[in-house]
Amino acid sequence: MVSIDLPQGTLDLLILRTLAVGPQHGWAISERVQQVSSDVLRIQQGSLYPALHRLERRGWIKARWGTSDNNRRAKYYELTRAGKKQLEREEETWRKLAAAVAQVLESA
Amino acid sequence: MLSDLRYRLRALFGRERMETDLDDELRFHVEREAEKYRRAGVSEAEAMRRARMAFGGHEQMKEDVREARGTSLLEQCMLDARYAVRVLRKNPGFTVVAALTLALGIGASTAAFSLVDAVLLRPLPYANGARVMMVWGEAPPGSFYSNFDMPFSAPQFQMIARTETVFSNFGVFRKKTFNLTGAAEPELREGVEVSGGFFATLGGSPQLGRSITAEDDQRGHERVAVLSDWLWRTRYHGDRGIVGRSVDVNGYPYTVIGVMPTSFVFPDAAGMPPGMDVPRRTAMWVPMALPPGALGSNDMGLIAELKPGVSTAQLNDDLVRFQQRWVERYPQAKGYWMRPVPLTAQAVTETRRPLLLWMGAVLVVLLIACSNVAGLTLNRSVGRRREFTLRGALGARRGRLVGQMVIENLLLAMVGGGPGLLVASASVWAVRHFGPATLPHLQEARVNLIVAGFALAVTLATGLLFGLAPALGATRTNLVEALKDGGQRNVGSATAPRIRNGLLVLQVALALVLVVAAGLLLRTFYSMLRAKAGFDATRVVTFELPLPASAQYADTGRMAQVYGEVLERVQAIPGVQAAGFASVVPMGGETDSTIIRIPGRPPILQSEAPGANYQFVSPGFFRAMGTPLEEGRDIAASDILTSQRVTVINRTMADEYWPGQDAVGKQVGVGMVRIPLRMIIGVVADTKQASLREPPSPEMYVPYTQNEIKTWPSMQTMQYALRLRGDAGGIAAQVRKAVDGVDPDLPVAQFAELRTMVDASMTADRFALLLLSGFGLLALILASVGMYGVISYTVLQRTAEIAVRMALGAGRGQILAMVLRQGGALALAGIGIGLAAAWMTTRLMAGFLYGVRAADPATFGAVALLLMGVALAACWVPARRAMRVDPMAALRCE
Repeated sequence: MVSIDLPQGTLDLLILRTLAVGPQHGWAISERVQQVSSDVLRIQQGSLYPALHRLERRGWIKARWGTSDNNRRAKYYELTRAGKKQLEREEETWRKLAAAVAQVLESA
Repeated sequence: MLSDLRYRLRALFGRERMETDLDDELRFHVEREAEKYRRAGVSEAEAMRRARMAFGGHEQMKEDVREARGTSLLEQCMLDARYAVRVLRKNPGFTVVAALTLALGIGASTAAFSLVDAVLLRPLPYANGARVMMVWGEAPPGSFYSNFDMPFSAPQFQMIARTETVFSNFGVFRKKTFNLTGAAEPELREGVEVSGGFFATLGGSPQLGRSITAEDDQRGHERVAVLSDWLWRTRYHGDRGIVGRSVDVNGYPYTVIGVMPTSFVFPDAAGMPPGMDVPRRTAMWVPMALPPGALGSNDMGLIAELKPGVSTAQLNDDLVRFQQRWVERYPQAKGYWMRPVPLTAQAVTETRRPLLLWMGAVLVVLLIACSNVAGLTLNRSVGRRREFTLRGALGARRGRLVGQMVIENLLLAMVGGGPGLLVASASVWAVRHFGPATLPHLQEARVNLIVAGFALAVTLATGLLFGLAPALGATRTNLVEALKDGGQRNVGSATAPRIRNGLLVLQVALALVLVVAAGLLLRTFYSMLRAKAGFDATRVVTFELPLPASAQYADTGRMAQVYGEVLERVQAIPGVQAAGFASVVPMGGETDSTIIRIPGRPPILQSEAPGANYQFVSPGFFRAMGTPLEEGRDIAASDILTSQRVTVINRTMADEYWPGQDAVGKQVGVGMVRIPLRMIIGVVADTKQASLREPPSPEMYVPYTQNEIKTWPSMQTMQYALRLRGDAGGIAAQVRKAVDGVDPDLPVAQFAELRTMVDASMTADRFALLLLSGFGLLALILASVGMYGVISYTVLQRTAEIAVRMALGAGRGQILAMVLRQGGALALAGIGIGLAAAWMTTRLMAGFLYGVRAADPATFGAVALLLMGVALAACWVPARRAMRVDPMAALRCE
């Protein structure tokens, strides 16, 4: 199993993208990112929660308490309208960046 | 943006709630993770363990989350503050000592800086204050007058008025006595007469009416007066209708044209050179209205406002040019020059030096306070290394630890700063009430909060610096090693004790310098008290009898007659043992002085001629004052205008001009050749004229009945001295009655006991002594506190060692000696350095000393012993504690 540490600044993008599907709690977010990326991307828990609180502070996500699939009280995060816009911006930026990097790599 | 703020506020005020939420959230995560492992078939315990492993440091993450919330800074500060309060409360010894040090150090330095600010740094309350110069004449070096700033004379002023200069405005003033009669009780007040440019130069505007202009300064228009605020309030009850009214001054009607504001007090005695006679407190201003071609002595102060953009060099050129023209007219003025002094500097010339002395003392005290705080915090942080290491291990980052130190120091600042401000206010209040009245603007002194803040910041920065260094060191050390080592004996880096001892040596040295300075002033004071004053102040009262400047007393013969009649009548008062009068009694002020000629000596330049003070005395004056007649005879009633002209001189004059000869029978005269010589008939002991610390100068005493010069010196006022048989009760009324018998309109002024006047002449010295002694005492206290702190700490550190020594057979006395030896060695080092520093710095205060050398071995020795004693006393308590160490108990603690 090969895992890669997340490049700087991509954590926010991943969290926002994951939440675009629907409200999720912290554990599910990290699990989902890991699954979808076929275990390549792993979110360190130490960065996940500070990031969630930071995004909440910026108003891109909001939190509410709900009941989890295993019938426990869990904190669910969902995208706000501002969050959706932010996600679009970040996706755009990321695509541009990735394309540019790829172009440079291939040209060599 | 708004949501951000809302979130932060919620985070801040709903902190408890958010904390539990966070705990729940994180716990859920771990449980969910564990459940995942359980489903994969891992055992319950193992699943939980793996989940925790994957999760990482719980506390660390919570800290990060808090930071992400954006409230951490404020929140941490509150937490730290709460923690700091707890820490300070748990160490009352440290807290009290540090707060006391801060309070005293900050209080004393703030008070002194505030005074200096008021007296030296604050701009003058006159509109043009910053651009106004005073100009003084300077005699060639080595001549009789070379040490004095000389005022201007009327001819000089009139010549300047006709000369093109770099001055946009200028004016002169000279003292004048005003006898205020009319409706109220007759009152004698001092004030000045001024030329038309005086008010324009200073730029002060009156609170009522107008000030004196060039139009008023002309003969025929000069009967107008501007009142000072205090005279207006006291004599005229602050009547706003005073302007335009007529008041009786010296027997003439004067029209009041204006009242100056409270702040306008120029000229006051502060800072004027001794040769310049100014009112103690100016009551009023009137025009001078000099006649063309006026003559007169050098009695005028000159103030001048420079044209904009004029440099000092240009001003000096101008003055040199003027002096050349002056010498063309008066060749004997050759060699003289002129010195401009900014008014701002003039007002404080005399007072600046004591203030600089205080500043020095204050800086030393502040330094001691700083080093004390430094030592204390250093001690404590070294002791707290374990705490910091532990907190570092638990995930506290360096920033947090530094923040913690800052908060603790700020808290300490508040604890010490509050009382410090109280100390400062109390000191400023005390100085304003008991300080010398000669200090200008002293009454305007207030505690300067900026200065207080500065002092606070300096001491705190020191504390922080010395507290932070070991704390940072602690976070950098290998956590495992530090925790493992952990015992009390771990005193941290090897440099800490060295710094601590260095600080202590510094404190002792600084305290020694201050105490030596105070000791020198004490000896000065003592020598002043024991100095031969040349008179005996017991049961002597003095008063002044100024004659009104009216036609009735225009002639000097008539004046002499009145003074003589008054003398006869006061001599007849039953309680009076002896009575006499003089132009100026000792402690009554400065006398006139003159160039003298001595027959048989080659005529020389005026600038190199001998000189002497010159005044009138009555028969019986020396007896009344108790001044011993050393040779010849006293002045007698038979010495009159038609008999042989005689003079009595003092010991210094006899020794200086007739060394090794008998001065009695020799001839001497004033510089003007047309005035006949006088024969010396007697020599009296030297007397102190203005203060007990002055060196004696040559004095000529001339019978008041032999005034052939008439225009000089002035006979407008005489000062009487009465030696009483008993106490002074009721004497004032009897004197008043005696004067009434001659002329009931004559004012009797400045009634005082000579002893009080002697005391008053020492006010400034007493004040300097008190101040420096206060600082010296403060330094001693701070240094002994520092010594106590360091020695107690070392004893604590060495408890185990002491226990081992005792277990191996060392006696209690030996332990006591060991601790005292350690403290004594530090104190000795400090005393050594301090003595060297004092030897170098006390010479700066030579000007304040009298009768004692700056490097007085007795003072130095005594102070060194005193400091050693204080140091050993400070070591005594911890040394006794060391002596009582129970070896078994201490070793068991290991």
